[in-house]
Amino acid sequence: MARKQFKPSKLTLFISLFLFGCILLLLPQNVTSRVNFAFIDIFGYFLNMGSSATHNRQPQSSSPDFVTRHDYNRLWVAFSNLQNEFFEQKRQMETLGKVRLTEPDPSTGLVLAKVVSRKDRQFIINRGSTDGLKAGQYVLGDNAVIGVIEQVSTDISSVQLITSSACKLPIKISAPDINTYFNGTMHGNDKNGAMVLNIPQKYKIKAGFNVYAAEKSGFLRSMRIIGRISKCTAGEKNPVVWDITVEPAYDFNNITDVAVIVLNQTG
Amino acid sequence: MKWVRFTFLILAAAVIQSSALMDIVSLTDMHIKPDILLVLLVYFAINCDSYDVIITSFAIGLATDITGTQIGPCFLSFGIIGTALSHIKKVILLKHTRQQALTIIAAGVLAYSMAVILAKFRVPSTTGGPFKIFAVSVYSGILWFLIRWPVITLGKWIGVGIHRFGAKPQER
Repeated sequence: MARKQFKPSKLTLFISLFLFGCILLLLPQNVTSRVNFAFIDIFGYFLNMGSSATHNRQPQSSSPDFVTRHDYNRLWVAFSNLQNEFFEQKRQMETLGKVRLTEPDPSTGLVLAKVVSRKDRQFIINRGSTDGLKAGQYVLGDNAVIGVIEQVSTDISSVQLITSSACKLPIKISAPDINTYFNGTMHGNDKNGAMVLNIPQKYKIKAGFNVYAAEKSGFLRSMRIIGRISKCTAGEKNPVVWDITVEPAYDFNNITDVAVIVLNQTG
Repeated sequence: MKWVRFTFLILAAAVIQSSALMDIVSLTDMHIKPDILLVLLVYFAINCDSYDVIITSFAIGLATDITGTQIGPCFLSFGIIGTALSHIKKVILLKHTRQQALTIIAAGVLAYSMAVILAKFRVPSTTGGPFKIFAVSVYSGILWFLIRWPVITLGKWIGVGIHRFGAKPQER
């Protein structure tokens, strides 16, 4: 007698797969994210084919009087960070008088990583929990804040870029005219920039002001440059506040190496 | 239906979909790209028998999830939409290319909207712009006119897309 092959009915099959999908949906994110990371690990070579970052090498400037746009941006970022640290130290010295200050050493607590895959508003880097990474840590690209760690596996992690609308960062806008900072919250606009909303118009903010990531206990010891204000207009929905558009310091397509700020618990 | 070839095709489509190559055809600074997996979902839903459609729809949904950040939302939404399409095709044949393109657009909007809602249960900060969902679906529908013949050829290689009138597959 021939063996009858077991074949469930269509309804049974659909319900089984539906229940399986519900189980997948209820599993913790840190369990299912391993599948995503495994896919990127296995097919990393094919996923990076055609990536613009490996081909976007700007030619060296032939004239000693000029530098390339990328070098100019790097110099501007370094200058802005140093200028901010200088003003911060000056402010603290004026407040504390004769107390000696120790400048936070920006070179400690940095984990260097390479970008192995790019998605919409997201990078995948080749460092994970074994290197001390965890969700929420700030990620620098050429010394400017470009995003935060979103998910971490043992050896790779995903970075949510500041241009993503799901990335919300506390920021400070510098006003050099009056030597002060305005606090705010920034979130990406899902294009090539970010937005800062609900800043009252009583604060005199203009295009060109620098935007810094604010200090955050356990994650960021001192302010770091994010970019500058490209547009500052009266709010569309509420005319008494500013609608501020922030332009990041760099074009993310050109970034291939990043650094993650990893502070120890006592730091 | 040759399932090994189907698995290979879906894996290849998933890799191409999430690779940097798709940035070549992306539009605007929102990086709107056509969704190859969505096109394949509708193709298999229209051309396979309803039993195989259930398996292919959930499989394509899983492939979409694997290329994303969460497992589960697209698995469910693609499975439901694909199964629904297999029942709709019994009433409306969807033989014309324009009908199929409109089906891709409608299926894309519904599937991704459902996936965003399901994803919010898991990660409340999930965002899914309605404009981007609509734009991706429309772009995929337009792409169908260009990739129809290669997809049909691949479908025949897998063993689908051949209508045999009078030879009914065993239905339960």
